Amino acid sequence: MGFDARRASSETVVIHVGEALDFRNADAFKSTFQEHVENGIRQFVLDFSDTEVLDSTGLGAIFSLYREISSDDGKVAFADVSEPVQVVVHLTRTYKVFRQFPSVEAAQEAFSG
Amino acid sequence: MAEHTVLIVEDESTVRELLKYRLGKHYDVYAAENGEEALDRIEETIPDLIISDIMMPKMDGFALQSALQTDKNTRVIPFIFLTARADEEARQQGQRKGVDDYITKPFDMEALLSRVERLLERIDMFQTQLNAEIGQDFSNRLLPDQVPTVEDYKFRFHSEARQQGGGDLFDWTETDNDTYFLTIGDVMGKGLRAKFYAFSFLSYVRSTLHTLLKESTSPAALMARLNDMLLNDEVLEDTFATFLLMHWSPNTHTVTYANAGHCRPVLMTPDGPEVPEHSDLILGLEEDVAFSDVTLDLDPGAALVAYTDGLMEQRTQDGDMLGEDGVRDLVAEAYGSDDSIRALLDSALIRSASDQFEDDLLVTWLQRENRNG
Repeated sequence: MGFDARRASSETVVIHVGEALDFRNADAFKSTFQEHVENGIRQFVLDFSDTEVLDSTGLGAIFSLYREISSDDGKVAFADVSEPVQVVVHLTRTYKVFRQFPSVEAAQEAFSG
Repeated sequence: MAEHTVLIVEDESTVRELLKYRLGKHYDVYAAENGEEALDRIEETIPDLIISDIMMPKMDGFALQSALQTDKNTRVIPFIFLTARADEEARQQGQRKGVDDYITKPFDMEALLSRVERLLERIDMFQTQLNAEIGQDFSNRLLPDQVPTVEDYKFRFHSEARQQGGGDLFDWTETDNDTYFLTIGDVMGKGLRAKFYAFSFLSYVRSTLHTLLKESTSPAALMARLNDMLLNDEVLEDTFATFLLMHWSPNTHTVTYANAGHCRPVLMTPDGPEVPEHSDLILGLEEDVAFSDVTLDLDPGAALVAYTDGLMEQRTQDGDMLGEDGVRDLVAEAYGSDDSIRALLDSALIRSASDQFEDDLLVTWLQRENRNG
C-alpha cells in the first residue's frame, strides 16, 4: 500500500501518513520518501491527522528519513499529531528533533517563512 | 508471508502465456524463452521456484538445471520439469539431482498448481522453523544467565521473547568498586533483523563499558559514546535504540542513570509509586546530543522497576495501551508480593484483551529490603 505524497511547494513535500505506520508498511513509507529525497526535497511535513497506530518500526522509518536529510539541513515536521502519535513522540523524546504544528498549513508556513 | 516468485522457462509462447496467466493469479510470475535467458533473469531476481521446459533453443532445460546446480545460491531453488512425451527417454536416461518434479505435457493445470503450492509451502515451513530457531538463539544471547546477588537487595528480571518481537536486551557488569552497571535497551524494528542488530549492539556496549569504566562511571558519558557509534558505524547505520543505563551502588544505596528515550522506570517506595521525569533523546538519531545523569536514592523498601515497551504497549480490554500510568499502577499493586514481577505480569494480563503478551517483554525489579519493616 502506497502513501499519498504531494508536492506543496518547490521545496516541500507533504506525506499523508494515514491510519497506521507500522512494521507492515514501513518499507512502503521508505520508498515514498526516498523518491522525493532523490529529487532533492529536503523539507517534509508528515500529516498525522488520521493516524491511530505508530509503532517503533514506523517511527524508525521516520528516523531514517531524518537521518538522510539532516546533514543537508533538511527538516521533518509533524502536523496535526493525534493522541497515539503524541504518546510515542513524548516517550522517545523525539519532539526535540521534530517540530510539531497544529496543522499542515501551519507547518508549511513555518517552512516557507 | 510475502508473495512467492515463480520463473517460467518455455519457448512455446502459448504454453508460456497460459502458465503466466494461471500462476499469475497466485504468484509473482516472470518468464524466459530459453535457458540462457533464464540465467540472465535469475541473476536479477532469484525465484522461489522454477518451472522449465526441456527442449528449447540456445540452452535446453537440462543445461539450465545443471548450471543452477553449480551455484549454491540457485542450487536449492525447487525445480519442476515440464516434459513432452518425446523427452521421456531423455528423462529416463539420467535421474537428475535437484529436480523436484517432472510433469508430462499435455499437463493438467490443476495438478501443476497443486504441486507448485505444496513445494512452496514446504519452503515456507523450513524458513519459519529456521527463523524461529535463530530468533530464539539471539533472544537467549541478549540476556544474562544470572543476576547479581547483593546483600540487602533483591534483584530479579523476567523476559519473554516473541518471534515477531523486537530487539529487547538486558545485561549487567560488576565494576571494581562493588557497584553494578545495568543495561536495558530496545533496538527498534521487528523480527530477526532487530534481534541481530540488538545482538551486535550489545557486543559493542559490553566492550565499550569495559574500556570506559576505567575512566568514568557516568552513564551519560557512556550514552554519548553509544550514540556516536550508532551514527558512525556502517553496519549499524539506520539502527535506533532506546536505552537505559543504570549505575547501581549498593553501598551508597543509589542508582545513577541516563535514559535515551527508553520507557521511564518506576520508583516505588512505601509512600507510593513515582515516575522520575528525566529522559533524553533516543540513540542513533542526532549527533552531539547531550545526555544527563540523574541519581535516585533507594531508601529501605524502595524498588526501581524498569521495563521495555512491550509491557506498556500491551492492549487492555478497552483497546487502549496500558501506558505509563497503567504500568505505574501495576507496580504499586505488585509491590510487597513475594514474586513481584510475576504478580505484575499476571495483573497486566488480567487487564489485557489478549491472554498473552503481544510483543517482546522485559522487566527488571531492583528492591532494597526493608529492614525496619
